[in-house]
Amino acid sequence: MKKTLAIFAMCAALVAGLALAGCSSSKSTDDLGLLTPGKLTVATSPDYPPFENLEGDEVVGFEVDLWNALGEKMGLEIEVVSMQFDAIIPAVVAGGKCDVGISGFSYLPERAEQVDFTESYFVDNQAVAVMKDSGLAAPADLNVEGKKIAVQTGTTGESWAQENYPNAQIIGFGNSNDCFAAMQSGKADAVCTNLAVVEAMLADAYSDATIVDQSATAEEYAMVVSKDNPALTQALNDAIAELQKDGTIDELAAKWFQ
Amino acid sequence: MTKQSLKTMATKALSIFLLLCLGLSFSIAVEPPSSYALETVKCTARPNSDDTNGNVLGGKETRVTWEGQCAADESLSGLSLTFPEGTEFSIADARVTALTGEDMMTREAVDATFIADGQTIVASFTDDIAAGRYVRFEVYGVFFPRTGGEMQLTGTFTLSDGTTAEIAGIPAINVTSSSIAQSWADSLSKKPWVQKWNSNKFLRLFLNPPILVKSFPIVFKGFLMALAVVALAFPIAIPIGFLLSLMRISRRKVLRGIATTYVNVIRGTPLFLQIYIAFFGLPLAGISVPNYPLGVIVLSLNSSAYLCEIFRAGIQSIPKGQFEASRSLGMNGRQTMLSVIIPQMLRRVLPTMTSEFILLYKDTSLLAAVGFMEVVMYAKTIVAATGSITPYIVAACFYLIITLPMAKFVGKFENRLATGDVVQKKKRKKRNGFGNGGDDGGEVVLTESGLESVEDAGITPEEFSSM
Repeated sequence: MKKTLAIFAMCAALVAGLALAGCSSSKSTDDLGLLTPGKLTVATSPDYPPFENLEGDEVVGFEVDLWNALGEKMGLEIEVVSMQFDAIIPAVVAGGKCDVGISGFSYLPERAEQVDFTESYFVDNQAVAVMKDSGLAAPADLNVEGKKIAVQTGTTGESWAQENYPNAQIIGFGNSNDCFAAMQSGKADAVCTNLAVVEAMLADAYSDATIVDQSATAEEYAMVVSKDNPALTQALNDAIAELQKDGTIDELAAKWFQ
Repeated sequence: MTKQSLKTMATKALSIFLLLCLGLSFSIAVEPPSSYALETVKCTARPNSDDTNGNVLGGKETRVTWEGQCAADESLSGLSLTFPEGTEFSIADARVTALTGEDMMTREAVDATFIADGQTIVASFTDDIAAGRYVRFEVYGVFFPRTGGEMQLTGTFTLSDGTTAEIAGIPAINVTSSSIAQSWADSLSKKPWVQKWNSNKFLRLFLNPPILVKSFPIVFKGFLMALAVVALAFPIAIPIGFLLSLMRISRRKVLRGIATTYVNVIRGTPLFLQIYIAFFGLPLAGISVPNYPLGVIVLSLNSSAYLCEIFRAGIQSIPKGQFEASRSLGMNGRQTMLSVIIPQMLRRVLPTMTSEFILLYKDTSLLAAVGFMEVVMYAKTIVAATGSITPYIVAACFYLIITLPMAKFVGKFENRLATGDVVQKKKRKKRNGFGNGGDDGGEVVLTESGLESVEDAGITPEEFSSM
């Protein structure tokens, strides 16, 4: 009976939490509809170098510099909330947790049904990495029964791997660090994710891995904003356009992608 | 393009298409244009099932990608792809890209206009694509027929000199028929009451009917997996835990030390961390175990530490007098354990063991972090694809299906243990002439309505019955 009580209490807490979340998202006086006036709350999954990853306890990367530049342009303070990649869009849709999701989101029509995308600020491709000593030299070696490709769940890499490696087994992980760890430890034979990330990982922690396949999929990175908040999307678009015009974005790209 | 013009086009579409086909087949039949070659490298559709099995479902939006290599001396001015009957597609977002360079990583945007012509999407390029290019054609908003099957696309290409020929070697796309749940979900989402229901943000996010229906069979697969793990891990954990508990109360220091260290280390670290160490650490050390057995091993090792403490507490809760009495009757240590202590201990620890089972079952969710396909993992993939929290609610139900009856079982068992004592005492009372004749009704009242509060008040059930 204590259990039932506990379960009831849990349900009550859940409902209360939801009600609170609902309140905070619907009630905002600022014309940008920000969670906290004057502050842009950015949701990100800091495991995606060179876009955003943790160095010590600090989040660094291309998108970090980008959102800081955006904050400066828009006169907003930036607050970063970390969450798992596949939790960001649901959080943006639900509201109450963040104003914008910036975490290497490629534009996808399906995603666009749930959230609004800003203008794109980067174009990336897909790549597949394997360990150098794995003996996998060509994509065909990997597209066979029993080979495992690690992907981050909810990413374009996941569906690209499924589409182009139908015979291999695709294993989903919560973040891209775990994908690479799985490849190194032999839990998976390969990792499929965005090219810029693969290059950054290979240049840094996984120098014993190599790219076995890549495809110019031309995915356009953009930020995701709730459909209830077109004013913010517009404001972000204006700021991105300005950053593009004054060369800031090119500068940042040159800094992070070499 | 307006809807009007699209419609008029659609009326013309079939005749034009037939003519085109006829002309094509004729030209091929008369003189196979062997020099005109556009070799298909791939033709695939993006997997669109909410599951992660990578299937392409009928009746659900997908994107078709065709890629081909132009002959070294032919430049393209147009491309067309014809979808099988019953397939819908959109010309919005369609794009053609030319790829060059080593690894085909250099993109050249191709300026093209797209026309839907019946089942055919026709791309006409503003400028011809240079000879020898690798060309990619992407069509969005494709809905294959619900029934699925092998979808054979056909296509044509037009060269800069105006000749048109068929694209060779397009592989069929294997489309899975949409599941019953999927069709049901689709029909649900069109119903007015569902739309009204979903207009409420809270209901749409947490109890979205179509997503509820859709995620149920998918999460169910995870449910079976979680059951399979716990059904093996728990029985394995019981003997290990029992052995550890005997070691913990052993007189030998070494045995006691080993068991105590093990229990303290396992109970003192989060299971989440243990899973990470086992899944990422062991393979690095050269030990490779497949996911399922590894999951079972980690969970049973973890649970055995907790069970050890449960058993130890159970054994030590038996009054010392019983040990002494058995020994004085001439039983040795082993006999005492087997026929006096353990039977009593088991009865006492059964409720706590069940609780431990519930904990272990819930902990299978932690395996999601390492790509283990169980309840939470499946739910997560649908959440990521739909942006609704509903699959998590479905997942919660799959935990409750097991944990609620179990919790009830624990409660009943605790009651029975308590009333068992009462019955014994009552019998004794009856012999003494104070009992109320083994009134079953009284017992029911006792067990179902008031035991908890009676216990909380610190009064024994016996006192309650005599009040």
